[in-house]
Amino acid sequence: MTDVQQAIRRYVPFWISLLVGIALWEAAGRSTSAAFMVPFSETLRRLWQLIVAGDFFKQLADSATLFFTGFFIALVVGTPLGMLLARVRALRIGIEPYIMIIYATPLVALIPFILSMMGFGFAPKVLVVFLFAVFPVLYNTVEGARSIKPELIEVAKSFRSSEWALWREVMLPYTLPYTMTGVRQAIGRALVGMVAAEFFLSSTGLGQLIMGASQNFDTAGVFASILVIGLVGVGLMRLGLVIEHHFARWRN
Amino acid sequence: MAESTVNVSIPLVSAPKRSPLTERLRTTFLPRLLTGIVLLLVWEFVVRALAPAYVAKPSTVVMAIPRVIIDPAFLKATGATLTAVAEGLAIALVFGTIIGLLIGRSTAFDRAIRHYVNGFYAMPMIVVLPLFSLWFGYSSATRIATIIFAAIFSIIVNVADGARSVPREYIEVARSFRSNRSSMLIGIVLPSSMPYLLAGFRLAAGRALIGAVVAEFFISIGGLGYYILYNSRSYHHNEAFVGVLLLAAFGVGFELLVNWSTRHFMPWYRRDEKAS
Repeated sequence: MTDVQQAIRRYVPFWISLLVGIALWEAAGRSTSAAFMVPFSETLRRLWQLIVAGDFFKQLADSATLFFTGFFIALVVGTPLGMLLARVRALRIGIEPYIMIIYATPLVALIPFILSMMGFGFAPKVLVVFLFAVFPVLYNTVEGARSIKPELIEVAKSFRSSEWALWREVMLPYTLPYTMTGVRQAIGRALVGMVAAEFFLSSTGLGQLIMGASQNFDTAGVFASILVIGLVGVGLMRLGLVIEHHFARWRN
Repeated sequence: MAESTVNVSIPLVSAPKRSPLTERLRTTFLPRLLTGIVLLLVWEFVVRALAPAYVAKPSTVVMAIPRVIIDPAFLKATGATLTAVAEGLAIALVFGTIIGLLIGRSTAFDRAIRHYVNGFYAMPMIVVLPLFSLWFGYSSATRIATIIFAAIFSIIVNVADGARSVPREYIEVARSFRSNRSSMLIGIVLPSSMPYLLAGFRLAAGRALIGAVVAEFFISIGGLGYYILYNSRSYHHNEAFVGVLLLAAFGVGFELLVNWSTRHFMPWYRRDEKAS
């Protein structure tokens, strides 16, 4: 089979299903009331209006700043902490159940507390994104640490490996693939945290875009903003998968 | 944090000979208990030193528990949220399983909708709230719809994975016994993808809880999420935090239940990393 044929087999079903979906959306939008649903073409037209009106890219940038700040702090805190827990066994055993409990708790429930303690600034929103993102990173890093065979560390020790070399040669390569699984999950959660923070704390960014549209009963605006956030979500997920697969090669 | 009180009930027996049980107590439960106590003390003293009096801290939360759990408003809120979560999860489970089986076993169906399923799954679920509130109004229908939307895609994705990974021999044996398509799906593919279904359900339960809480924040209808929102707005943080503890208990409870049933009913199943 040639490359072209392979490419056709791979991508044609995707484009067909996309086109059918858009056609169904268009038909559904045209046959119902405009307050309920708007066709695809109308959604795009509204999106274009939002872009031309000028606020759109500022809001996108606001959201991106919030997302990446929170996510970055989560990564910088979660990874070393996870590895420290990996190395110090007593600490890990002690703290593991609490991480698991917080991981299973719907953290959105903490947003009202954050609001009444920290108000409407940028910091409380970053805290929300951080809280959503840090536990997957931490949880998976610790999980990775558990996968290190004790013999590996014993062998390293018996060759009088220094603590630094042990981290570099054993701890890091063995835990990082798991950390990256955590990063992929954290991307999805941080995105939820970002939208939740923008909905329920001070209204900014893409959250403000969608809230504003909804309050004005601007259904086309709601669809346009959901489309944008959906595409951002899919794009970031893809990125997460790529990162995860890249590091998964280290695993075995 | 405050959940560490769970460990307090474990008796610390000091036997002269170290049986496996005492060994386990010494190496596992003791560090956990100590860590829990340390976490609670840090929380208590940080809040006492730095935060205003209304902020929740372990001592005041514990004192609020007996008051809150007999409060009719709290019980009603808990009932409303749990009923909605149970209903939404049941609907998501039925339809998610059917759609997942179809995606996993039919190439045409897979090609037609897999990108939509993956797309919706990747979407932060709470963005649909403004749309759902336009569609269903400020009513409990919006909450149910949000819960279903939050829960269904992780079930679909996992069941589809499970249905794809059914060993070929099973299918071939069924074929050679002239089994028809529907009995093959129900009799072979479904049981064989059960562990995946449970893994999906575990994720779905967590997401359903989040969906319920967020929906209650957004449309202000009675439930545990709204109870938390209302009480923390009126600076009753301790009462509100009891609600958070209950949500945590539900989250952990679902998790333990699913893990336990996977081990108990499917001991042949090796825990799969992909499902997490």
